[in-house]
Amino acid sequence: MPKAVLNVPSAEPKDIRWFYDKYAAMLLGYINGIVQDHRKSEDYLVSILTAFTAEFGTTEKSQLSIWLELRQYAQSKLAVLTEKHHSLTPAHVNSNGNLDLLDDLQKQIFCAVYYHGKSISQLATAFSSEEDEIRNQLKRSIDKMRRSRGN
Amino acid sequence: MEIKRIIESGLMETYVMGIATEEEVQQVLLLKKEYPEFKDALENLEMDMEVLAQGMAIMPPAGTLEKIETKINEIQRRSQVVQKIVVPNTGSESGRADKEEKYIEVEAESNQMRVNKAWKWVFIAVFILGKVFLAGAIYFYLENRQAREEIKELKLELKQKIK
Repeated sequence: MPKAVLNVPSAEPKDIRWFYDKYAAMLLGYINGIVQDHRKSEDYLVSILTAFTAEFGTTEKSQLSIWLELRQYAQSKLAVLTEKHHSLTPAHVNSNGNLDLLDDLQKQIFCAVYYHGKSISQLATAFSSEEDEIRNQLKRSIDKMRRSRGN
Repeated sequence: MEIKRIIESGLMETYVMGIATEEEVQQVLLLKKEYPEFKDALENLEMDMEVLAQGMAIMPPAGTLEKIETKINEIQRRSQVVQKIVVPNTGSESGRADKEEKYIEVEAESNQMRVNKAWKWVFIAVFILGKVFLAGAIYFYLENRQAREEIKELKLELKQKIK
């Protein structure tokens, strides 16, 4: 079987195996956090990673790191699902203890933004709170998880 | 310092989480360009978000990579076919090569035959002429039979006269 190679400049020799080894597990964990169904998550992983690797390099280069770009790409592809099923109660996620560091409000805010792409203004309305307060809570939740890793 | 206050404001977090407004995105890109301190802090945050995602990773089942490779190969094959159809001829090739570029060869079985509409009038003329010849043939056949019967009768009359 011929090995499929991505349409990227030769300065960045990234083939599918490279993408897969580096991001497939992370992406599956992320998708499963949204879909909450292992079987469906695996199907979405195949279609999203296929579409992303096929499009990578053909679109305008993003300023974000590849992982953040891939995560946002997956989020936009799964937006229909997140719109239908999302509630502000965080679903069970294999977070390796990361989310356990957060209090309930921080967990809700972090999950709503990370998995479902909710904006600060949407969350401020949902929680009847100020936008600055939501922004602060989001920052604190990320800081807590970073600190737990010694950063 | 002002830049430290911006770093602590939560702007970078909304940016890496993908929920920054267009105005905030432009602000981040400008700050990244102008302040190395901001650039370093942003890159560290991006790296930490990747580490965080690694902590939440789930190993895909065996065979997933093969599925993705198969799908990508299919996409590439399809796009090559489309390119073959769309790409115009550069001019130096012969007419036959041009035809090959424009059409995809397919194998098909059909018992139908396509005929140009102009042939319709030829077929009608052939049909009418056929009918005319048939009518002529019947007419001459009957004439001929009648003539033979007359000759036969005349011969009989002649024989009787001779007797």
